[in-house]
Amino acid sequence: MSYDKDYDIIHEGLSQHVQIDTSEDQQALRSLAKRFSIRTFKAGDSLWELGTNSGQLHFILSGAFAEYLMDGRVPHLLRFYSKNRFAYSEDLILYSTRPATYTTCLVEARVASIPAGALAEYLMNEELGGKLLTSLIELSMTEYRNTTYEMLQTNGIHRIHAAIEQFPDVLDLIPRKELADYLGISRASLFRSLKQIENG
Amino acid sequence: MAKTLEQLVYDFFRGLPAYTTDMEDTVKAIIENFDRPVIKKKGAILTELAPPNKDFWFLCDGFLKEIYKNPFMNEDALFNFIPPASIFVNEDSLFYNKRPQHYYKAYTDVTIASLSNEKFQELKSKYPAIIKLYLSGTAEIQKNRRSRLLMLRMSNTQDKIDWVRDQRGDLYKIMDRVTLAQYIGVSRASLYRAFDKTGKSQF
Repeated sequence: MSYDKDYDIIHEGLSQHVQIDTSEDQQALRSLAKRFSIRTFKAGDSLWELGTNSGQLHFILSGAFAEYLMDGRVPHLLRFYSKNRFAYSEDLILYSTRPATYTTCLVEARVASIPAGALAEYLMNEELGGKLLTSLIELSMTEYRNTTYEMLQTNGIHRIHAAIEQFPDVLDLIPRKELADYLGISRASLFRSLKQIENG
Repeated sequence: MAKTLEQLVYDFFRGLPAYTTDMEDTVKAIIENFDRPVIKKKGAILTELAPPNKDFWFLCDGFLKEIYKNPFMNEDALFNFIPPASIFVNEDSLFYNKRPQHYYKAYTDVTIASLSNEKFQELKSKYPAIIKLYLSGTAEIQKNRRSRLLMLRMSNTQDKIDWVRDQRGDLYKIMDRVTLAQYIGVSRASLYRAFDKTGKSQF
């Protein structure tokens, strides 16, 4: 089976986050894309575990994942990852600490991944690596900012609209229970709001 | 006696988890390159951060409101409430070279100082440890955003109020109720109902 199409998608995903100035940059990014390996995840499979010390940078080719943050012994849904998005534990990849979160597959997925060691080598030694590191920090900060916008909406319908703006396919991909937890509203309130949206 | 900018910035970096004593020279160089502090009166908008400012700002004293235009309410709303001894930036300008969607307003009288992006870039080439400090600083912001998100996802207003009081007592004791309602993502009416129900006052 040829993975060329997948590598093109990974390359495309990387290019959206790294400014390419020269043809050497373009070549370097393409060879980085080829270092990702691809595997399939079933619902319930773990993308990364709490406290693990083996980190990877993932690029979601299809499917969806949920990331949970532990508050004491209770897991709280922090955010979703779906098609064409990077997923990684910032704790591990950027800040060299054990992750305070874990991520589980919600909908069967294909994922391209590169181990943190190979990535770190690239981030530290390649010229383009510095740009990628900055981009990963910016990406992480911006995702938290966008998710905060959603949660600052005082009205359930506005929260749903804000979530759709960030994840256009959120209603199709994410089971309703997880979506209600994510939006911080009850399932009854989610269904009421969705009905109101449907009725215009 | 109030601390000087030098002491405040030094304390800030020394408090970061990544700080080690061999970074002393780097921190000294950062401090030396800060511009002179500016005082802004309560209620003033920080025009210094108007586009296309990509500098790193340090809040020496006072509290700031970080405000954005809420597209769903068609009004300006609180995004964050910033305590003294914090770094703040125009993320849209710094990260994406875009016109900022946020602006800063002095909640109390404030004193601010900046490290220009040009100076930061110069320092980066002379002092590689600055990257570790930058990473450690962003990690702290990320942790704060993450824990606030957990609070924002709580479905009970009283739980949210309790979280701010317990986890962010420094902000709780200074925020008025309108600001508190915006900070926890509830309507003013919900906040007032929660206080009425418990019979507790905010302070």
